[in-house]
Amino acid sequence: MAASEVINTGSQVWKKLKKMGVNWTTVRRIMSVVLFLLAWTILVQFTGHFHQIPKPMDVFAALFQLKPGVIFVEILRSLLRVLGGFFIGLAIGFPLGVAIGYSRIANYLFFPAVEVVRPIPPIAWIPLTVLFFINVESQIVFLTFYGAFFPIVYNTMGGISEVDIRLPRAAMSFGINRMGMLWKIILPAAMPQIFTGMKVAIGITWLMVVAAEMIASKGGLGYWVWYHHTVMEYPMVILGMGIIGLCGALCSLAIDAIGNHFMKWRNIF
Amino acid sequence: MKNQNHTMLAPVDGFDFEFQKKPLLSKIVSLKTVLNTLSILSIFVIWGALVNFGVYRFVLIPGPAEVAEWGMEWVRSSQFWIDTSLSTLRVLGGFVSAALVAIPLGLMIGWNKIFSDLTFPTLEILRPIPGIAYIPLAILFFPWEEASVAFICFVGAFFPILLNTITGVRLIDRDYFRAARCLGSRPRDIFWHIVVPGALPSISTGAALGMGIAWMAVVAGEMISGKWGLGYRIWEAYTLIRYPLIIDGMIAIGILGFGSSAIIRSITLRLIPWRKSITESLDESITK
Repeated sequence: MAASEVINTGSQVWKKLKKMGVNWTTVRRIMSVVLFLLAWTILVQFTGHFHQIPKPMDVFAALFQLKPGVIFVEILRSLLRVLGGFFIGLAIGFPLGVAIGYSRIANYLFFPAVEVVRPIPPIAWIPLTVLFFINVESQIVFLTFYGAFFPIVYNTMGGISEVDIRLPRAAMSFGINRMGMLWKIILPAAMPQIFTGMKVAIGITWLMVVAAEMIASKGGLGYWVWYHHTVMEYPMVILGMGIIGLCGALCSLAIDAIGNHFMKWRNIF
Repeated sequence: MKNQNHTMLAPVDGFDFEFQKKPLLSKIVSLKTVLNTLSILSIFVIWGALVNFGVYRFVLIPGPAEVAEWGMEWVRSSQFWIDTSLSTLRVLGGFVSAALVAIPLGLMIGWNKIFSDLTFPTLEILRPIPGIAYIPLAILFFPWEEASVAFICFVGAFFPILLNTITGVRLIDRDYFRAARCLGSRPRDIFWHIVVPGALPSISTGAALGMGIAWMAVVAGEMISGKWGLGYRIWEAYTLIRYPLIIDGMIAIGILGFGSSAIIRSITLRLIPWRKSITESLDESITK
């Protein structure tokens, strides 16, 4: 192993780094990103086909040309659309998922209808949405809502149907009523999967907001990327993609944090 | 793992719940079919009623009868078949190339710690960027339009397959590796006899999920850059005010997406005959 050689030859630097909490895993992880950037630069530099793609350095330089005011307005616009669609999807999808998962009659009544509509991808709804809603904001919010709706319904439903049967049985033998069973037993037990569904949903809402903004051209990060594509400022395009990815990752982390807050019991064991 | 145990036990374990309902069983079966038909019929009835009475802007939306009429005509035309086959080919191209890259990569990342450290952080950085955001770059990079649409599908299908493959490998019981090593297996044997079959159920989940996202991506790609294909057709139907065709196109995309996921599930089921109960868990994890 190379690690032992390095230490044996007496390189004090490594020992110091190790004391600071650096080990081979972190080195390799950093190497991964460095190698990626290096490969990207080399490909762009020496391959004819890639020459139009901006280099990492160009993208980094473009970072300083950003006007913070402008980009924050765009981020805020997209974020509001995402959150609007997400919360409407949660407000409708969560009760529906609970009903389908918990009640037999509701399952028979609603599940086939949901199952018939589900295979149509949200992006295919764009023309119909543009036709139906006059207001651009409501168009985009409807599309993000539609993207968030199905993952939330299906994961809520799936979470409830996969609850360990021994838990409701134990509660039943303690004489719990139907509402208590739902709130105290079923929902907490299904919560991990409900939060998984919410995480998937927020990912799809970010995808939808980008697609909708590219077509609607009423501001937002999707439009920002598309605009810089049309004016051939490709470093900005890649920067925009990075910002979209960062926002999506932060939203997903936020849902994780909220989930951990509500599911503190998971840390006990 | 806990859930799988649960589904395995279900027939034995869940029987006392069934027991209470048994006298009503015949009644419930008929009730189920009645409510299910009612449920599907209600979509068309509500849609038709909203259009018929012109609630809000539903006047603009074509009704079920109109959609059916246009649909019949569209299916008979050669345009429909060209659109369908082109979209399917693009999805297939993106999906197959994504599977060919993501499955070996995922197996290696799940199996080898050093390889994982060297590649996974970069992929983790790229993952949150939605496939749609790659459209401008794809247009720039691929001079050939077909390739750029297929590339969008590739990006869409890649990450679900990759992540599910990695989880699949990491969920394999450690005892299998220890047992194989005790019996003197070479790393190559461990890879082919433990890692690959152990990850297969999870890979199939990822593939079905990736297929769904590839269909979504192809529609977006065709809407923005394309001359043929179902996504382009529904956008054209909107611009040419042939509104019933929009809904026909949506239905066609829905059926194709659903069909291709079903085909993937049946293929992968044949590859993993030792996990019969996977059908149920697959259905649920499609949305995960």
